[in-house]
Amino acid sequence: MTVPTVLVIDDEPQIRRVVRNALEDDQLHVLEAATGRDGLDQAAARRPQLVVLDLGLPDVAGIDVCRDIRTWSSVPVIVLSARHSDLEKAALLDAGADDYITKPFSPLEFRARVRAQLRRASMIGTTPDDAVIRAGPLRIDLIKRLVTRDDVAVHLTPTEWELLRVLASHGGRTLTHSFLFAQVWARSHGDPQQHLRVHVASLRRKLEQDAVRPKILLTEPGVGYRFEVDG
Amino acid sequence: MRESAGRTVGRAWDWALWIGMLAIVTTLLFLLRDSLGSSLGAAHIVLAYLVLVLGASARAGRTVGMTLSVLAFGCFNFFFVRPYHTLAVAAPLDWLVLGAFLATSLIAAQLLARAQREADDARQRAAEVDRLALVGAEALNAGRADEALRAIVDVIRSSLDVARCVVHVRDATGQMTLGAESGAVAVAHDAETAPARARAPGLPDAAHLLAWVAEHGRPAAVRPDGALRFADPGAPVEQAASLFDVSGAKALMLPLRVHDRVVGVLELRHDDLMTLDTPRRRLLGALSHYAALGVERMQLASEAEHADALREADRLKDALLMSVSHDLRTPLTTIKALAQSIGRDGDERAITIEEEADRLNHFVADLLDLSRLAGGALQLKPEVNAAEDLLGVALERIQGAAGTRTINVSLDTQEPLLLGRFDFSHTLRVLVNLMENALKYSPANTAIDVSARRGGEHGAYLEITVADRGAGVADVDRDRIFEPFYRPEGTPPDTGSAGLGLSIARRLSEAQGGTVYYEPREGGGSRFVMRLPGVSMHELNAP
Repeated sequence: MTVPTVLVIDDEPQIRRVVRNALEDDQLHVLEAATGRDGLDQAAARRPQLVVLDLGLPDVAGIDVCRDIRTWSSVPVIVLSARHSDLEKAALLDAGADDYITKPFSPLEFRARVRAQLRRASMIGTTPDDAVIRAGPLRIDLIKRLVTRDDVAVHLTPTEWELLRVLASHGGRTLTHSFLFAQVWARSHGDPQQHLRVHVASLRRKLEQDAVRPKILLTEPGVGYRFEVDG
Repeated sequence: MRESAGRTVGRAWDWALWIGMLAIVTTLLFLLRDSLGSSLGAAHIVLAYLVLVLGASARAGRTVGMTLSVLAFGCFNFFFVRPYHTLAVAAPLDWLVLGAFLATSLIAAQLLARAQREADDARQRAAEVDRLALVGAEALNAGRADEALRAIVDVIRSSLDVARCVVHVRDATGQMTLGAESGAVAVAHDAETAPARARAPGLPDAAHLLAWVAEHGRPAAVRPDGALRFADPGAPVEQAASLFDVSGAKALMLPLRVHDRVVGVLELRHDDLMTLDTPRRRLLGALSHYAALGVERMQLASEAEHADALREADRLKDALLMSVSHDLRTPLTTIKALAQSIGRDGDERAITIEEEADRLNHFVADLLDLSRLAGGALQLKPEVNAAEDLLGVALERIQGAAGTRTINVSLDTQEPLLLGRFDFSHTLRVLVNLMENALKYSPANTAIDVSARRGGEHGAYLEITVADRGAGVADVDRDRIFEPFYRPEGTPPDTGSAGLGLSIARRLSEAQGGTVYYEPREGGGSRFVMRLPGVSMHELNAP
């Protein structure tokens, strides 16, 4: 198997060094770019398997780099951010970023996120059995519209099923509130956010062993929800 | 002024014309008298003269018309009433004819002249209305307040036909600044040319005239010899302007008022004497109201600009804080990364370095939030959220700090969802903070108990309680622990807290309609209670 290449776009050499060290610990090949434009050029020319993008670039806004990459590639993008605004995080995810990590971050956590994204990307198109999704004790059959927990059938309302289907088929990715609403409620009325939260909470009660300590349906505070494939 | 000079010339020409006409008509009638003899009746002569008088009244006005009727009366009597060539009248009936002619012609001249005057007046008023409409349109069309004022000044100058028109703006401190100007005068300023002269106490000299007019709200005029005249304070502009017509003025200063407040001064200057007739005075009165409104609009605009500047300063402050926190986070990332790699080599001191880096980061975040809360810049997005969702994320966040310690959560998952209206991220910060405190201030072998419930009338609030078995808080400190940087006496210095957490917790809760308070726990320890606005499932499903 070839060594995956990771492109790091960051104007600060210290951060690039930290990221490089962390990635090389995982035997990954690292490319560096100090500006957004150079980053976009290298991304197009070298076709990396993952992009690590800092938001505070001097020449191009990080979110624009993200959008640009998304117009021609589905390479996973992990964003490094020093800002905590929920709105910004949600905007980034909606612009096509796959994950974000806030500075100051721990290299251990960063490596875990990178591995998760690489694994997810390598799985796309290789698993023929897309119709059945497993997570911990859960088994979700997308074709038969069947959910079992420890082989016991779980009854879901149509909205709960739709919500679970959208979350599960984007397993491992944080889906923003607005994305989820567009997918599940696009054609109905009412306040999206309220219903979304209530339905997630009731889904948890049906699917999780401990609804207060969820392992499958995780909350990204102020941003959205994530279906954890690893369970 | 030019136009009135033209009018005088026109007057003289009118007199000459109509008296000439009288002479011609009289001569023609005289010739006819001799050739026709008695067949020329008094009626023919009276009609001919009457036509002449009416023509003169219509064309040249009342004075010419009436003079002409008296002259015609004289000619009629002298040339055509027997005995001829005397003013004596032989037949008593002729007196009747003469009297009737005089009366008819005088009344006709009077009526015609009045009609004429009214027509003139109407024309003048129509012109005034046009001017005012023009000012209104210019003022409204001008995009910015100073452009509007400039347009008004231009219209005033051209309407009143003066050489220079200036609007001075008076600010709240009484300072005068130039608002807008139009035109220029050829001769120098009065202040420079006027000879120093004795003046009455309390009245200004030419150099301080402007400020004086603004302060006292009294119109003033500068006469050609440099002498000053003042009108009564509060006199209407039309009336004030009339004061200066007596001897004429070459400069006029009028206070501009809005709601009895002098907002500026209108200054009019001319190279020679300004005479303002009644229509122009009236026009000046109306135009000066526009000028006052223009000044007021300019002042409002500058106030708005000031508010904008303040907002901009606030934004800059926030941007500065953001950039400071950003700049701190980069080195902290490096420090953490290096500490971790040293730690892997077995140096235990590295763990301390990493912890301290986290603490510093925490502190920066706290400072940023506190500053935003104090400035009202923190944006909260209260939404309907479930308590168990919040507790779930808080428990996950606290995992590292909790280590092996027990955290009991009492929340009946068989019950309907506990819902509240709050900003998820910021409330999470409050809850994590309370849980961290509980861990920090209680013995390591005791558990932390977290519970949630709905309380109040119809479940008005959602209450989340974090309880520990620590030492509790002394009575005197129960409110002070919520003040920034306050640390109760006897707090160990190494608790890793700057005393900001609780004050931020309380402010964040209050900003979304809730609160955080402390109460002693039964059997020893602390209970920190966070209350947030509650929402019922019933409310949620209502359309």
